[in-house]
Amino acid sequence: MTAQEIAIVAFAQTPAVRQYGDSEPAMLMDLTNQLLAETGLERKEIDFTIAGSCDYLSGLPFAFVMNVDGFGAWPPVYESHVEMDGAWALFEAWVRLQVGDIDIALVAGSGKSSPGKPREIFALQTNPYYCAPLGLDPVSVAGLQARALLDAGKASERDFAEVVSRSRRDGLANPNAQVAKDVSVDALLKEPYFAAPLRRHDLPPISDGAAAVLVARGERARQLCERPIWIRGIDHRIESSHLGLRDLTDSPSTRLAAEKLGVHDGPIDVAELCARYSPEEIVLRLALGLRAPTRINPSGGPLCGHPVMATGLVRVVEVARRIREGSARRGLAHATSGPALQQNLLCLLEGDA
Amino acid sequence: MSDLPPASFTLEYPYTRSTGPVVGPFLTALRDGRILGIRCRGRVLCPPLEFDPKTGETLAPDFVEVGPGGRVQSWTWIAEPARTHPFAEPFAFATILLDGADTALVHAVRAGSIDEMSTGMRVRAQWREERRQSIADVFFVPEARAREQRLEPGRGEVEMTEQLISLSYSEPLYPHRARYAKGLLEGRFIGQKSPVSGKVYLPSKGYDLLERVRLTEADDVVVANTGTVVSYTVITPVQYYGQKETEPSIRASILLDGADQPLGQQDIRNIPIAKFRAGMRLRAVFKPPGERELGELDNRWGGTGSAISRWEPTGEPDVPFEKIAEHNW
Repeated sequence: MTAQEIAIVAFAQTPAVRQYGDSEPAMLMDLTNQLLAETGLERKEIDFTIAGSCDYLSGLPFAFVMNVDGFGAWPPVYESHVEMDGAWALFEAWVRLQVGDIDIALVAGSGKSSPGKPREIFALQTNPYYCAPLGLDPVSVAGLQARALLDAGKASERDFAEVVSRSRRDGLANPNAQVAKDVSVDALLKEPYFAAPLRRHDLPPISDGAAAVLVARGERARQLCERPIWIRGIDHRIESSHLGLRDLTDSPSTRLAAEKLGVHDGPIDVAELCARYSPEEIVLRLALGLRAPTRINPSGGPLCGHPVMATGLVRVVEVARRIREGSARRGLAHATSGPALQQNLLCLLEGDA
Repeated sequence: MSDLPPASFTLEYPYTRSTGPVVGPFLTALRDGRILGIRCRGRVLCPPLEFDPKTGETLAPDFVEVGPGGRVQSWTWIAEPARTHPFAEPFAFATILLDGADTALVHAVRAGSIDEMSTGMRVRAQWREERRQSIADVFFVPEARAREQRLEPGRGEVEMTEQLISLSYSEPLYPHRARYAKGLLEGRFIGQKSPVSGKVYLPSKGYDLLERVRLTEADDVVVANTGTVVSYTVITPVQYYGQKETEPSIRASILLDGADQPLGQQDIRNIPIAKFRAGMRLRAVFKPPGERELGELDNRWGGTGSAISRWEPTGEPDVPFEKIAEHNW
């Protein structure tokens, strides 16, 4: 089978904020309307909608069903959902469009972390016999990963602070950033530890937010926008859920995904990495072999805003934005799920030559 | 922001899991003061897995005792423990390679101070006084501070393990929901009328989901206190964890006059089940002004909190099915 050419034709995101004062479907409705207005499409022309969200975040069983309100409840649509970041919803939409019988899909990711306590909620994502009863949370696992990097000589605390300093400074130019600041590495290193060797600034902020993209197939993509952003491939690889079986200083799943996509067959102008904790960026950079002139997380990345369930899709949006603006031609978006980069998804995007 | 209190609730349930052929023996031994690994192609995995992580093949139940001492591979100091952590005071999470094991166990180290922690340090398992057939029955301390313990073995095999999941949530009422809530306290129902479809939503979610239009305070409308039962169910309470009900009761959807969306989940206690029916006309009887409370009113389902005392039959003739068919399901 020849792969269908599929492109992002429009994208939108809400700012990441500590607490959004209305509902998740309300956020999605604003984004849906923005995408329809930009492309001139009517809602009935969308063949497939798919969203990524997490019912545990709002503590409401079937919260994801209410999110469908945001796409407009009428007319009925062929709809799907993943209990994963919106980047995985994009993957499913891409696969669905490969069938070749429909042309347009609306993809979203959304989450409001503000009502609950993410550290307590996401501890439940770990092994239910061996880890969850200990309340082993993502921050603690990131701390274990950070120490492993230090002990292996692959990074220093200064390296972590450099990631934070650069990211928070880049966030100043990002209107959707929740946290942005011009702060020096030395100043950061004077802060107290939170989950040593991590300091509070090595962690992402707790955010509410959403992102959405409209994808279309082949010629339809060219009709809908002047500069389609082509999805050259998406690859998702998973490592063991047992931390004791992994080398936390490496990300073989990310490397494998990059090999399968042929990431290094051409220059990567920009990479948006879903590095939720500063050490994760170092692990990913090493695994992907990224170096100058590739620009890493020019948006400031998840350290400037972490709307869980949308953070990965936001990476796709940020790469797409730079390709559309013309500051990049070929870019890589990364999304992750699970503790210490357990699951990794790469999406290779390219503009027309 | 409204001056009403935030909507807060706790999502709580004890999860009970069967343990199976590997976790069962592991937790049984752990209860009795021993830690087991499982052999896998010349290596010993701890915690023990049911499968070979390389091939996915089922492992034979070939257990081997490991620990109780071991070496810290990596660690992080938890300066501000969460409610769900094993200790309320600062402690370390660590990956621990137990003596005799080839893979590390993630667990808690009660070291007292971050200065006691270092990579490669020796630690030793300690058991809790009260054991609950859980991985949390044990914890680790720096080896020099370990005490000898004599444990009374438990009875039988551990076939189940239980964890109470308890999550708390709190969120201010959204502006449209806060106005609806204030309406209830004032003894009236405030909905929102979509300027596009003309539909009246009650309680409104702040948007018209048919036309994808956000609604504002200018779209607020007062809806009548009288309406029609469009659907109902009789709930026979199952005695699950947290159940407060013992007797069957009615939950009704009531379409108030002037609204296009029924008010769901209305608790009916004053009308006998045998006499209750779709099409019946009811009136909301609000509590006296000082006694109206918002109760469990939240941003999600809405409801009527504890603002009304009952739904009372108006005595009007029933509304024929054809007129409410759109809302009857």
